[in-house]
Amino acid sequence: MSSKTFSEKSAVQPLRYLVNIHVNQFPTIVDALEAAPANRPFVTAWIDEDEQEALSFGEFRIRARSQAVQLCDHSVGPGDRVIIVMPQGISAMAVFVGAMMLGAVPAFLAYPNFKVDPSKYRSGLAGVTKNLCAKVVVIDKEFPEDMLDCVSTREDTDLLRAGEEAEQVANIHFPEWERRPEGLAFIQHSAGTTGLQKGVALTHATVLRQLGHLSRALDIDVDNDRIYSWLPLYHDMGLIACFILPMVLHVPVVMQSPMDWVMHPETMLQIISKHRCTLAWMPNFAFQFIPRRTPKNRWHDYDLSSIRALINCSEPVRAASMMEFRNAFGVCGLKSNALHSSYAMAENVFAVTQSEISSSGPRRIWVDAHLFRLQQRAVPVAEATPGAISFVSSGQLLAHHKLRITSQSSEIQEGAGVGEILIQSDCLFDGYYNRPDLTADAIKDGWYHTGDLGFCLDGELFVVGRKKDLLIVGGENIYPQDVEELVASHASVHDGRVIALGMYNPDLGTDEIVVVAEVETQENLSESEQIEKEIRSLVVGGLGVSVRTIFLKPAKWIVKSTSGKAARSGTREKPLREHPELNTNVKEI
Amino acid sequence: MTPEAQQMIEHIASLIRKPSSHIDENTPLVSSGLIDSMSLVDLLLKLEDLTHTRIPPGKVRPKDMDTVTLMFATAQRVGKPRK
Repeated sequence: MSSKTFSEKSAVQPLRYLVNIHVNQFPTIVDALEAAPANRPFVTAWIDEDEQEALSFGEFRIRARSQAVQLCDHSVGPGDRVIIVMPQGISAMAVFVGAMMLGAVPAFLAYPNFKVDPSKYRSGLAGVTKNLCAKVVVIDKEFPEDMLDCVSTREDTDLLRAGEEAEQVANIHFPEWERRPEGLAFIQHSAGTTGLQKGVALTHATVLRQLGHLSRALDIDVDNDRIYSWLPLYHDMGLIACFILPMVLHVPVVMQSPMDWVMHPETMLQIISKHRCTLAWMPNFAFQFIPRRTPKNRWHDYDLSSIRALINCSEPVRAASMMEFRNAFGVCGLKSNALHSSYAMAENVFAVTQSEISSSGPRRIWVDAHLFRLQQRAVPVAEATPGAISFVSSGQLLAHHKLRITSQSSEIQEGAGVGEILIQSDCLFDGYYNRPDLTADAIKDGWYHTGDLGFCLDGELFVVGRKKDLLIVGGENIYPQDVEELVASHASVHDGRVIALGMYNPDLGTDEIVVVAEVETQENLSESEQIEKEIRSLVVGGLGVSVRTIFLKPAKWIVKSTSGKAARSGTREKPLREHPELNTNVKEI
Repeated sequence: MTPEAQQMIEHIASLIRKPSSHIDENTPLVSSGLIDSMSLVDLLLKLEDLTHTRIPPGKVRPKDMDTVTLMFATAQRVGKPRK
């Protein structure tokens, strides 16, 4: 077998990087990385104000190659799937790229946290390794001994602790592989646990096409842009926008772990101020979470004038959340046109639409509420019209993208009709890995059925909610079936008589999970506090998310469908009627 | 129980939807689902106030905040005097 030698030259590269990168000139993502000047800054991992790790592209390549050698020692080769279960950081990124350097196909999975029941995590991981037929599962060197119970693999899957011994090695040999644009680059996972986890398989060419379209829509300036991220790498927004995009375009990125951010959201302001970051993405809830969780007396300490696009993505965009952020941080120099929006999904690599970056920000419109609800049509009205509903645009389609809106009866909606969003593009995925059944449901006649509801107006897309049963809590996708299964496992809950709903909480700027469950006996209702406590533990142990509100109800309370199953849609309005204190919008599902 | 721990318990009771729930210094908060990740920052800010320290991000994990006892031990371990 032939081999390829990689070496990092110490020759000084020009400090100013004036080459306009055309991503489509590279056959693979690895080739794009290898074209980056060695001394150009790439990734800075921010731990806190006193501790940061910064790597240039050259240094990152050395780290990635050393990880490739370790994987090679475990016989990982072209086409093999590699699952990475490591804390967010440079080491995890190096393993991911190391796998790609061998022609293998990496996939990030969420790191187990102490909230999750080890047996649940273990079965989820086993399900994914089975579906991907993974060659190795890579964990970090510090993976806690007491969490090893979380990691169980198949007999033919190796467990590998990523080491750092080879990190100083600059010249490395490993087997050559044919770098084909059509080869699989990596797999990114969408929502769900064991049974519902979908691996979105993407080729190098598909990813590079998306990055070409996106970089043009964002007008990326390789010399002056710097990305900030707190987003998880197992989510498309963190993986594509904040790792693969900067790596391929040779743009510096400063990142911190999602958990560090959620415990100290103010650090985002600190990092952007210090590193003069220009681009960032985050879900809707963060636009009000950050101002509400940063003491007002510290707002003046920060300088956000460097930001040219802070993009609201992965949850429905809400005007109130955007305004709250803009109003709070105008004192920090935040430009009035810096907030933007995008509609994105893993199945399309990432973005489908992007608001016009040179505009004053995404367009906000008001539509007639009566026509919207009764005729599913979005007819614009004046801003002050009583009862009008407001929506924020997610922007225009990227190049080589097409969009179609269809009614419930699958008829194409013209004009301002509201319906399911279908997309076609040159960067759409080919299918879910090893799941032709799910792929056939999702792609029909060349159109990907997103499960999202929306409408088009003047060439812009407005996303209004979900058709599919999916909850988006703090930017994280959660299937209600997963919640219901855990709740139904409680001995006092009547089997199969559980409904999990997504309910928008304006205070949080995101959905919260509401559970309605029928108890076995009337006596159980007198023990509701204890049962609720146990249900919360079951859900947090199984999924790592908290249920905000639980309603325990007597038998026959939940509305049944004609097939006798508990009906989520039919039950949706009942808690609202009986509990007027929940005067919020139940998410349309 | 210290007055600071008592104040923290009262703060937690105001954060959760079930103020009547019994909470003491050793009640699991995050691992029981009583407090979600997005509320951890409220606990950290309160802890910084009560201990007059700055708690560096990156030095504290959610499990360090699972009970009131653990919170104050964490502040003692990693807290830095306020500038």
